Amino acid sequence: MPILSPFTGRVVPLDEVPDPVFAERMLGEGVAVDPVAGIAVAPLRGRLVVLHSANHAFAVEAENGLKVLVHIGLDTVHLRGEGFERLAQEGDPVEAGQPIVRFDPDRIRAAGYCLLSPVVLPDLPERYRVQLVPAREVIAGQDPLLYVMVENDAW
Amino acid sequence: MRDKALRYIEALGGRENIQEIDGCITRLRATLVDPSKVDEAKLRAAGMIGRPIRMGNGIQVVVGTHAELIATEINKILRGG
Repeated sequence: MPILSPFTGRVVPLDEVPDPVFAERMLGEGVAVDPVAGIAVAPLRGRLVVLHSANHAFAVEAENGLKVLVHIGLDTVHLRGEGFERLAQEGDPVEAGQPIVRFDPDRIRAAGYCLLSPVVLPDLPERYRVQLVPAREVIAGQDPLLYVMVENDAW
Repeated sequence: MRDKALRYIEALGGRENIQEIDGCITRLRATLVDPSKVDEAKLRAAGMIGRPIRMGNGIQVVVGTHAELIATEINKILRGG
């Protein structure tokens, strides 16, 4: 099952993310994207189960229980929504590629925040395996960022 | 949620030890009076994921994707709710 990139930008391994919670995989396997455009889309079809009040992070859960967490920048909760605008509401059903948050990369960088944006799979059941794509440029809602597979199954 | 909030408050050294607490999407971010009063075993028992990130009097605790709800509940309790 492909997980589409929520961002347009360059793929960066989690190891290079200067935040131990992501780099140490406390929230599961994943990758980061260094976004070049200010739009974050749903990485898969499902329900927008969480959208933080600061609009800097959200999670989409598919019908099969697979959950993807998208975090725009690092420590950006401190901006309290400045530079972020929600385009969907918590609880909404969403399609893969549907815009969820619009953000202003220049404004966020100017405020001193790193814009590397982790996309991770918290609570991934053990029978699932994650396959990452090689580091490259990706387009939001079009290019897969990673694949999730059930063991012995192509899904 | 209230039960979880109470367990985190206790693990962080009790309500008097918490100066300020906020919820990011997956982690609680707290400023503590005395960080040595944190009980990591109790944090794990309450549901902490991984290890706490400590910086001076600050601590970050990963709790899952509903950290904001838990933080809101903790703040309600701290304000005497």
